Amino acid sequence: MQWIDLLDLVQSVFDGVMFGATYALIGIGFTLIFGVMHKINLSYAAASVGAAYLSLLVVQIAPTPLVYLAAALLGGVLGALVYFVCFRFLPLNQPLATLMSTVGMLLVLEEAIVHATAGMPQNYPAAFAGVVFDVGPFMLRGDLMFVFGLGCAAMVGLKLMLEKTRLGLATRAVAQQSVAARLCGMSVSSTNATTFVIAGFLGGTAGAMTGAAIGVLSPLLTLPMTVKGLVVTVIGGLGSIPGAIVAGLVVGGVENLFQFLRGVSERDIYVMLMLFAFLVFRPGGLFAAPGGRD
Amino acid sequence: MDFYIGLLQVIGVHSLLGLSAWCVLHTGQVSLAQGGFFAIGAYGAGMLTAMFGWPLGWALLVAALLSGAVAVAVGFPALRVKGLMLVVATTAFAEIVRLVFFNFSWKVSTPQGLIGPDGGLGFGGIRYFQSNAWSGTEVLLLIWALVAGVMLLLWSLDRTRIGTLWRAVGEDEVAAQSAGISLTAAKVSAFGIGGAIAGLAGGLFSHNTTHIEHGNFTILLATFAIAYPILGGLKSLAGTLVAVVFIQGVLVEGLRFLGDWRSLLFGALILLVMLVRPGGVLGAPLTLPAFLRRQVRRASVMPTERARHA
Repeated sequence: MQWIDLLDLVQSVFDGVMFGATYALIGIGFTLIFGVMHKINLSYAAASVGAAYLSLLVVQIAPTPLVYLAAALLGGVLGALVYFVCFRFLPLNQPLATLMSTVGMLLVLEEAIVHATAGMPQNYPAAFAGVVFDVGPFMLRGDLMFVFGLGCAAMVGLKLMLEKTRLGLATRAVAQQSVAARLCGMSVSSTNATTFVIAGFLGGTAGAMTGAAIGVLSPLLTLPMTVKGLVVTVIGGLGSIPGAIVAGLVVGGVENLFQFLRGVSERDIYVMLMLFAFLVFRPGGLFAAPGGRD
Repeated sequence: MDFYIGLLQVIGVHSLLGLSAWCVLHTGQVSLAQGGFFAIGAYGAGMLTAMFGWPLGWALLVAALLSGAVAVAVGFPALRVKGLMLVVATTAFAEIVRLVFFNFSWKVSTPQGLIGPDGGLGFGGIRYFQSNAWSGTEVLLLIWALVAGVMLLLWSLDRTRIGTLWRAVGEDEVAAQSAGISLTAAKVSAFGIGGAIAGLAGGLFSHNTTHIEHGNFTILLATFAIAYPILGGLKSLAGTLVAVVFIQGVLVEGLRFLGDWRSLLFGALILLVMLVRPGGVLGAPLTLPAFLRRQVRRASVMPTERARHA
């Protein structure tokens, strides 16, 4: 391999890791919800993309940074909606019922997007799109750096929220032992609802980041984002937030590495094979004790 | 008339797909791999008849056995995990299968010209029914004969020891294991039989549509596969059939007059069914949904309580 090829390879892995911040956020959202409710919310990535779409409503009247903020807030609103429609009134001892209801929600959200935009991809504002920094032989794309920074900011915010506020304490308590949390006087259902809202903030941010990094939003984003988010959740370990962060960045890097080596049509095969390797050799995820299984 | 024959053919193929997911769900596992087995069956059977001139019967049999064998091979590592992990593992498998076919090109020259899978362009020219002059009704009869056969097989399996073992594992794994049931054997056998049925369905699908491509076999297809038995209720095979007729017949075709709104309503109706009947349409005895029942009970219990205290 030529020296210049190696440079390109490192460059594309690096870009992938930056974009991986979006996967990390989606993975964290899945993990948070799984942590408190022990349920998967399959409509999560669709709601995230939906929030980014909704934030386009303010794009004419507001400066670009507000669009990202709007996406996060709308993500929270959609999160609450998903909780009340798909989880609140369903029996939680029937795992298949919430699985199916979130699938129904996923289809509704996807179709609502297609319906509202007539299936056309929509342009999404990018920040620092033309800015390129040269670092030695590599270049750093301004828009990807912004996306990465936004993702890091969201993660730091989440960490502060979980560790410094009473709400975070309640979330962690319900995730650890929901019965004990209830005995201590916490309302499990309202904690669950808030967790959905917080996960929605992250999801909306991730949707906006995806839009900013790719430049367009399309309903075709929802299924790949769902799959990647689930992959990240499992590689990172169910319920582990640091795991989801590292796994998101790793998946982003590996994805671009194989895109560079084998082309865009084959890259996801290798990501999935990596997941399979994890399931066989480390089913508990990155940071779990080996051998721990759901 | 042709329209209804076509619709019934689709319902038959999807019934087989739903039945394949039923086997796996019966052991308490949620698998999104059925779309992958369906794809293997579709490509396998299509290649055998279109590229190598095999008769349909043998092609379907080999496709089903091949899918079943792949299911067993995947089942051993995948079924060590369960719950969300299994959903993701099977999703990954189905995506791998789809992407392999997306990158798979192999053409051979036949009397009809070069035929074979061509990567992203798909695999066309699976014209066994057309070149052997099968009428739509004959295809329909073949499909439904196979549906009936599979349902009979599963119905009788359910009444043998194997069905009991599957149900025991599905109800409570720990209890089943402590009763000496091998979880691996029960899960992998259900996975293998489900895979073979999905492969059979795939073979029928590719011959029925004559052109297949990787886009036919996305996660959405697998979601439909598990949606049928879950919506219909896992207690009975008929529930799966009812759900397929409801989704493919009523929702997909019957609501066509609604135009674009149809697909929007589709997800909403799945949601509604789950809210009203969380155990599936034919799942449990007909009762009010839990959140309504509570209020009704309160309303009906209160007067007697009051009477007793009075």
